[in-house]
Amino acid sequence: MRRGVLLAALAALTLSAACAPSVPGSSGSSGGQQPAPSDRLTIGTTADVLNYNPLVGNSRTDSWVTNLMYPHLTQMDMTGKRVPYLATEWSYAEDGKSATVRLRDDMKWSDGKPVTADDVVFSVMTVKKENFGVVAGLITALDEAVAVSPTEVRFDLTRPDGTFLDNVGFWLPVVPKHVFEKAPSVQKFANDSDWVSAGPFKLTKVERGQRYVMERVDGFGPGTPAVKEVVFRVFPDVNTEVLALRNGEIDVIGNVLPPATAAELKNDPSVKQEQIPSLGWAHLQYNVKRKPLDDVRVRQALAHAVDYEAIRNIALKGYAKSSNSSVLTPSLPEWADPASKEYTFDPALSKQLLAQAGVSDLSLSMIYDQADPNIARWAPMVRDSAKQAGITIKLQGLERNTYVDKSLKHDFDIYAGSWAIMDNPPANLGLAFKTGGYINYGQVSDPKLDALIDQAQKALSVEEAKPPIQEAARLIRDQVYDNVLYVETFNVAHNTKWTGFKPMPSELLSIVNPLSLAAAKPAG
Amino acid sequence: MTAAAVELTPRLRTWSAFRRNPLGVASAIVLVLLALVAVCAPLIAPFPEGYGADTSQPPSAAHWFGTDDIGQDVFAQVVWGTRVSMAVGVSASVLAIVIGLLIGVSAAYFRRLDTPLGVLVDLSLSLPVLPLMILVAALAGPSVRTLAVVIALFSWPEVARVVRSQAIAIVPMPFVSAAKVVGGSSLWIVRKHLLPGVIPVVGVSVVLTTSRAVLAEAGLSFLGLGDPNSWSWGTILHKAQQSGALATAWWTTLFPSLAILLLVVSTTLLSVAYNDARDHRNSS
Amino acid sequence: MRFIGLRLARGLLTLWFAVTVTFFLVRLLPGDPVTAVADPNMTEALRQKLLADFGLDKPLAAQYLDYLGQLLHGNLGMSFRQSIPVTTVLMERLPWTLILTVSAMVVTIVLGIPLGVLAATRARGWVDRVIQITGVTAQSLFVPSVGIFLMYLLGVWLRWFPIGGAVDLDATGFAATLSMLHHLVLPCLSLVLIQLGGYVLTMRTTLIEALGEDYVSLAKAKGVRPGTVVWKHALRNALLPTTTIAGLQLGTLVGGAVLTETIYAYPGVGRAIYEAVGQLDFPVLQGAFVLLAAAVVAANLITDVAYGILDPRVRTS
Repeated sequence: MRRGVLLAALAALTLSAACAPSVPGSSGSSGGQQPAPSDRLTIGTTADVLNYNPLVGNSRTDSWVTNLMYPHLTQMDMTGKRVPYLATEWSYAEDGKSATVRLRDDMKWSDGKPVTADDVVFSVMTVKKENFGVVAGLITALDEAVAVSPTEVRFDLTRPDGTFLDNVGFWLPVVPKHVFEKAPSVQKFANDSDWVSAGPFKLTKVERGQRYVMERVDGFGPGTPAVKEVVFRVFPDVNTEVLALRNGEIDVIGNVLPPATAAELKNDPSVKQEQIPSLGWAHLQYNVKRKPLDDVRVRQALAHAVDYEAIRNIALKGYAKSSNSSVLTPSLPEWADPASKEYTFDPALSKQLLAQAGVSDLSLSMIYDQADPNIARWAPMVRDSAKQAGITIKLQGLERNTYVDKSLKHDFDIYAGSWAIMDNPPANLGLAFKTGGYINYGQVSDPKLDALIDQAQKALSVEEAKPPIQEAARLIRDQVYDNVLYVETFNVAHNTKWTGFKPMPSELLSIVNPLSLAAAKPAG
Repeated sequence: MTAAAVELTPRLRTWSAFRRNPLGVASAIVLVLLALVAVCAPLIAPFPEGYGADTSQPPSAAHWFGTDDIGQDVFAQVVWGTRVSMAVGVSASVLAIVIGLLIGVSAAYFRRLDTPLGVLVDLSLSLPVLPLMILVAALAGPSVRTLAVVIALFSWPEVARVVRSQAIAIVPMPFVSAAKVVGGSSLWIVRKHLLPGVIPVVGVSVVLTTSRAVLAEAGLSFLGLGDPNSWSWGTILHKAQQSGALATAWWTTLFPSLAILLLVVSTTLLSVAYNDARDHRNSS
Repeated sequence: MRFIGLRLARGLLTLWFAVTVTFFLVRLLPGDPVTAVADPNMTEALRQKLLADFGLDKPLAAQYLDYLGQLLHGNLGMSFRQSIPVTTVLMERLPWTLILTVSAMVVTIVLGIPLGVLAATRARGWVDRVIQITGVTAQSLFVPSVGIFLMYLLGVWLRWFPIGGAVDLDATGFAATLSMLHHLVLPCLSLVLIQLGGYVLTMRTTLIEALGEDYVSLAKAKGVRPGTVVWKHALRNALLPTTTIAGLQLGTLVGGAVLTETIYAYPGVGRAIYEAVGQLDFPVLQGAFVLLAAAVVAANLITDVAYGILDPRVRTS
């Protein structure tokens, strides 16, 4: 009996082993030639690519991979200013009702066809026509896009919109017209094989759940990449990912390190961390339609009952900057308002304000996404500091979908969260604080604020938009329509064997943006 | 197995056999100690809240189990976690055993119920437990009570199935038929013949279910579905995992893991010792 | 034959039940699949369009009938999130899950039977105690902690095993098989550790019971050698609960290896399900549930048949 079982076990093991090469996803076509270590840059990520259609995909890994394949018109420098990528220059007409973009002429799709103005027009008009993805909500002013010449695109707008070029340049991936137009519905086009791309790397092999292999494109316009191959490997748990980095199995951790891990890894000589400014901010929003939160004194009392310094120093390990309670953060120095002052942590003042408002025994619930490691860390700190001001906060750490659902339905007293990318204040504040804005979770409705944001959106230059938007930000601060806690400094770790990365702000770009990976090379 | 010429009462014999088993006695002591810790938590350590200046400190005289990444004392977390974890484990296990025993025995004894109950068990077993636990926990909102009910809801079928498979072998035995012929009531037969027959298996089930419940609680909390307003061992582990400290700040995971280990090992050994003590024939 | 036919019908009923329950449960999930797929930052018109695209705008009953119709044609639908057939999503993951769970189960049984016999025949001896304590301890380990510890010790420190993944990128042919086994060791070990204890204990308990049964005593009285008694009579009997547990575990392992697959970055089905819950990808979830239900029904069928063969008492009744 025992021998029989043993034999069966051996047979099963041999069988499963023998089957291995034919297992889908493991069938290798790399020809058994192991590239030298310096030829391959391996990047860890915590999730799989869910959608290869860059116009649809919106997860971080989706963006990292498709950003290497499909060019955008512009990228961003470390201060959030747009810099050229596919576009070389861009400008608005005098009246603000049209915008022109010039394209570089040396970019090619991987099937040999050039990247032209037609592709840009196709990409943006498809999004407009089929009305999907992130970009659709940002181009409401667009009337028509016209290819003036193969290297020039003109966007005709229905109203002056100074946010248009920033938004389209940063968010719109340019896809090959001759491939995507064949799909009956571009939105439903999975684009999951035979990719035709134009970025610095092309996707050659996918092993879902494991890795995505990308090869360099010779003759990539802005400069042929130094590294031959970029591999994204999936590690759902960040702890395993860190071990893999220390073990040398991966060279870069693409996702942002939890602050405690970043602090710990500082002591590892084989790991270098790049500091990346966040384009968003972490915040508390109060549901201004609910009593007694409709009283500004109650909101101010709450704002004075948060220990901002402690949150930044303990929960974030100091990897966070104060934004002086302003929605214009230090990550965008062009816009920031140096006059803004952070709310002080002052429980006594808080009690006083509550007394003035005639509120006692204030008890509120606070929703947050339990899967967000930073917020899960500071949410209890918010509760504990509020207790000192006599305010009871009940934590509701929720599963992500429940949390999003409750936020969108305004079903909360206090919302704790963070916004990832707020790259253009007039556009983003419009979405977040104008009456009926899509992400106006706190149900703010203030005619004065609406007017200021409208005015800023119409302005065609930063200089012109700055006064109204700064006034709007002051109004948001004083009325506590948003309580900005901090702006995170992201830590992205890579092995010291690699150098030459070109960091850009936000987790979306960081050091895995196309221009950075094209420039990365082995150290020494 | 039946009442075959016994001088001492079975209970007394079980007890005296149990006392001679050092593993069983040691386990019982450990369990009592853990229960004491759970009950007396406020006397042992202050409730872990707020933050401290000494973050991520290894164990020391001031912090026996070290501190976590926001400077809270891990010892206090483990002490308070004992309360929640034990409560969840025990209540989930009791609930699961009661349901499982009822359904398993009914299925074996009442032949007409066997098929529908079997289908019910098959159905419950064919659902992916962890994703469903995640779903239900998400639906009901994270709280200690939710966790206990959810875990019980998905643990009873295994008990029921094991109980049934044991009981079904007893039902056709001659002494059961004899009892039926004599006119014994169903309840009496079940109590007198079926229950004693399935108890050994249930004994093992109790511990397996308790350990599974404690581990399931840890797993659910680890996946972010724990109760954010209370501390359990799983919550401590979840926070350590989130901060990426599993490999570096070993003390944040070692001590809650050890606590889980201690509880599960001692309950299991206790029940094994109990089973052995119950089984008089081999103790001669 | 009739016995098997009945079981088969019951299996189908179970399958339908599972499909129905999961279909409605999934739709009770808090949150909105459309928000999970697209940016929350979208217009109401776009929302309605997406709902229509996913077929979620129809009444529940119509959606349910549509889905049953699809299932009868073996069509599991299209993933909301990935725009590819659910079958593709699951089939890419299934081989890895099977390799992991089957190897873990085989190792468990291979180690568990002799350990169980050893513990039962030497009940209350020190060998028994060591086996019990080790088994129980291993069983109560928390997978993520153990996984990280093993990877740190054997991966980063001793460099014996790779960290995460299922196979090397460059390996082909026989080297791929080796690499696969190499990656399999740690996750498989973790699963074996947590299963083995329960398995050995059940074996032990049942064997001790069986060793006291009349027919074993009879065999002993007849002068059959003690070793033969244990192996032939008692073990045969004790294999029943073993089959039950093995059958159960095959089913639960496939979906329940989530923690193991997550910590070891192993590309299995469990992880795919967990991810689909987070993405509210109903078709993938439903498909995965159907797959798991089918696996369990199959495992139960095999268990029942094995019962019939192993235990004459069941066959005759």
